[in-house]
Amino acid sequence: MREATLTMTESISGKSGDAVNRAAVAQADPAAVDETELVQRARKGDLGAYDQLIQRYQERIYATVCHMTSNHEDANDLTQEAFIKGHQALKSFKGGSSFYTWVYRIAVNKTINFLKQRKNRSQMSLNDIDFNAEHDPDLVALISDKNPRREAGLTELQEKLNEGMQKLSEPHRLVVALHDVQGLSHEEIAKIMGCNIGTVRSRLFYARQQLQGFLADYLK
Amino acid sequence: MNPDSENFDSLRQLLALKRHEVPPPGYFNRLPRDIMARIKAGDIGDELGANPSWFQRFLSVFDIKPVFAGAFGTAVCAFLVSGVISSEHTPAFAADTSTPVDPLANNFPSGLTDSKEFVSASNSAPIISLFDQPSLQAAPVVDRQFYYPSGN
Repeated sequence: MREATLTMTESISGKSGDAVNRAAVAQADPAAVDETELVQRARKGDLGAYDQLIQRYQERIYATVCHMTSNHEDANDLTQEAFIKGHQALKSFKGGSSFYTWVYRIAVNKTINFLKQRKNRSQMSLNDIDFNAEHDPDLVALISDKNPRREAGLTELQEKLNEGMQKLSEPHRLVVALHDVQGLSHEEIAKIMGCNIGTVRSRLFYARQQLQGFLADYLK
Repeated sequence: MNPDSENFDSLRQLLALKRHEVPPPGYFNRLPRDIMARIKAGDIGDELGANPSWFQRFLSVFDIKPVFAGAFGTAVCAFLVSGVISSEHTPAFAADTSTPVDPLANNFPSGLTDSKEFVSASNSAPIISLFDQPSLQAAPVVDRQFYYPSGN
């Protein structure tokens, strides 16, 4: 099941701005249809239904939090707290947005609050890179370039990339994580962050600009 | 300004690396169990403690919808501003303290207050005590001269 979810997530996150594809995937997946039913059951106290909701979204929530914190332990704590908070606040969930967007917003707010408190200590605890990375067309193109500055291994690139991400402000880091890594559309990010699409676009532009400056040695 | 139209291709290729970061093996099998165990145990998060006060519960609402924090702040500011404005528009008689107002002046029938026998309760004459008040001031010294008849 995890592999299936990963495949779906990767197919989603591979290209940015493909909300249409995501909607098609959601319609094709029968499990995606009964999210409302699961939420209704969970609101009535069915823990099994909430467990299914956790299993459905845990990877995306965890990944986003991990991209924000660059620390597995912190991401683990924050993901757990986000889902626990979501369960407590289910009665206040009116269904105006999808449960996915709603719980995403809880996780993001918790993470930003946590990062503001953690300002003075930032320790990176990076996760491993899966073996598929060596076959990712984007990374293959990047590494196989003859430029000598790109002789760094994937692990070093990962470290520099996370260092660069940590230099961004929280809102800028979040838009990069949600759009360029997770593959969410501008509209979805605007809903999660509670701002308009123009703000998302401008934040994304400046975040990329800053990140490009930080990582200039590893780019063109 | 369209971020997608700028030349960030290399950066986006590099960011693809983050999609391949994976947590320790078996993590996503354990995570739902851990969360459900905490929910069943009545855990409400590290930051709140076991028995949250009403104030902590109130603050936790802002985690879900931060817009409430803004709305609450705006409401408090509006309340303060309205209080300041209303205090500046208080009635004139209360603000005018130059002329003392006799609180009993209008509480008696006009016939009674016009009569000569009427004695106002608001007498401003100094109060005379029935008893001598002790005083630390020394009595003035009177220089007295004694005259003796001559011829004695």
